[in-house]
Amino acid sequence: MTDSAFAVSAAMIPFGKHRSSSYVGLAVSPLIDALRTAGVQKSDVDAVYVGHSYGGMMTGQRITKEIGLGTVPTVNVDNACSSGATAIHEAYTAIAQGLIDVAVVIGVEKLTQFGGGTLPLSPEDREVKQGIVMPAVYAMRATRYLYETDATVEDLALVSVKARRHGALNPFAQFRQEVTVEQVLAARPVADPLTLLMCCPTGDGAAVVVLASERARNRLGSPRGMRVAASVLHSGQVEEGFRDMTKPEISYQSARDAYAQAGIGPDDLDMIELHDAFSIAELVYYDAFGLTEKQSAVSLLREGRTTFGGDVVVNPSGGLLAKGHPVGASGVAQVAEAFWQLSGQAGARQIEDARWAMTHVTGGGTAGLDHGACTIHIFEAA
Amino acid sequence: MTVHTEAPVSATIADLESDGLLGTFPQGRRLVGTVCDHCGQSMIGTRIVCSRCVGREVSRVALPTTGTLYSFTRLHVGGEGVRVIGYVDLDGDVRTLADLREGGTPLRPDTRVELGVEGDDWFFAAAAGE
Ligand SMILES: [Zn+2]
Repeated sequence: MTDSAFAVSAAMIPFGKHRSSSYVGLAVSPLIDALRTAGVQKSDVDAVYVGHSYGGMMTGQRITKEIGLGTVPTVNVDNACSSGATAIHEAYTAIAQGLIDVAVVIGVEKLTQFGGGTLPLSPEDREVKQGIVMPAVYAMRATRYLYETDATVEDLALVSVKARRHGALNPFAQFRQEVTVEQVLAARPVADPLTLLMCCPTGDGAAVVVLASERARNRLGSPRGMRVAASVLHSGQVEEGFRDMTKPEISYQSARDAYAQAGIGPDDLDMIELHDAFSIAELVYYDAFGLTEKQSAVSLLREGRTTFGGDVVVNPSGGLLAKGHPVGASGVAQVAEAFWQLSGQAGARQIEDARWAMTHVTGGGTAGLDHGACTIHIFEAA
Repeated sequence: MTVHTEAPVSATIADLESDGLLGTFPQGRRLVGTVCDHCGQSMIGTRIVCSRCVGREVSRVALPTTGTLYSFTRLHVGGEGVRVIGYVDLDGDVRTLADLREGGTPLRPDTRVELGVEGDDWFFAAAAGE
């Protein structure tokens, strides 16, 4: 038997190029805001979990010391794009096991420190030595997907158009201008068939979520929030030979386990924040999450069934493509979006009567694996 | 009476010494692979342990020179000019990332390809006569 865990507050900075801010400068404000809106004092915090990939030593402690939040365990987590969500998973697990009552989760990343270009991957990896970069991985996925299905390059562009239309409504998004299919297709080629506007931008960000046990939530008198209905973390499994890049096993397995844990199915979801690092990913994950039992992924997209007013709103925040993707921050930012949607605080992008939300991040860049880590959470308004 | 045993001393693996994938074999220059002596699993590159059965008895082998192109991309970032790379499923079910040379006919997935070697560079191109 496990205890219930709830998100009781969320805060984040708008994602973007914050060149004059350090990891500390990015994260301290949302940390303060999340504690304040949760009604949590420093002395209430039992543990801090910090997801980041490029922050260096003691990133979490460097942030928390600024507000004198020490003594309690601080756990720094690196799982590439899944870092922040892995931190949520660890916090959830500790609460569910009854070990702690209040956990602060910080996701933070500063990608402008690299001055541009593709995400730095481990130089020890065999394929990285050969020159692989993340856009190439997703581009190969896209090439194969277009070859095997009736999807077209216009569909890849349509994913970006939808993301930007959602991002335009989100004050936290890095890109708030809408784009057309023609603009996406005419953008600079990055890795065929992907153009620049089919790739998530480089940016900086920080997001903070406070999780609490049921008794802590009652004690705090938290007005509204959401219950963690499922928290799943999977690692990739090596394949030395053939791998179907259009069916990433790590996301399929994580979704299957998350639905089982939550006791719901894809039809119940009101929103999904999924890992659209490149536009092809969104179509691939419609399949992985079981949205395509009745309709193909491209037909869901073309008919507007995954935008506002559709069956399930995918990436109401604008997703990684529009909101931005500061690697370690993204998983926590997705949970912040779910929190605001399920507690009626999402403003112009509010999904009416949203009850169930899923968040999904998956971190890649390792030879032989589809992705190294995948985290899926399901939340219910509570 | 307490029985004393000695803890095993685990050895380091000099995996940084075998960077390249191209090797010289009796049959010529080939991509280097590793086959597990125990379960027969084939793997790309120089390995010291089988990723399936964890066997430590493995053999260095020349991988097949032909295979099927799984997917590819023309990469416009991360270097100078355009670089064409793809995943090749070598005959015998070993996948390798590879540079690709485009010939007269455009590349497409499932094209049969074969290894080419020029100096220390290696690549795959559409297989002749297939
Ligand atoms: Zn073996």
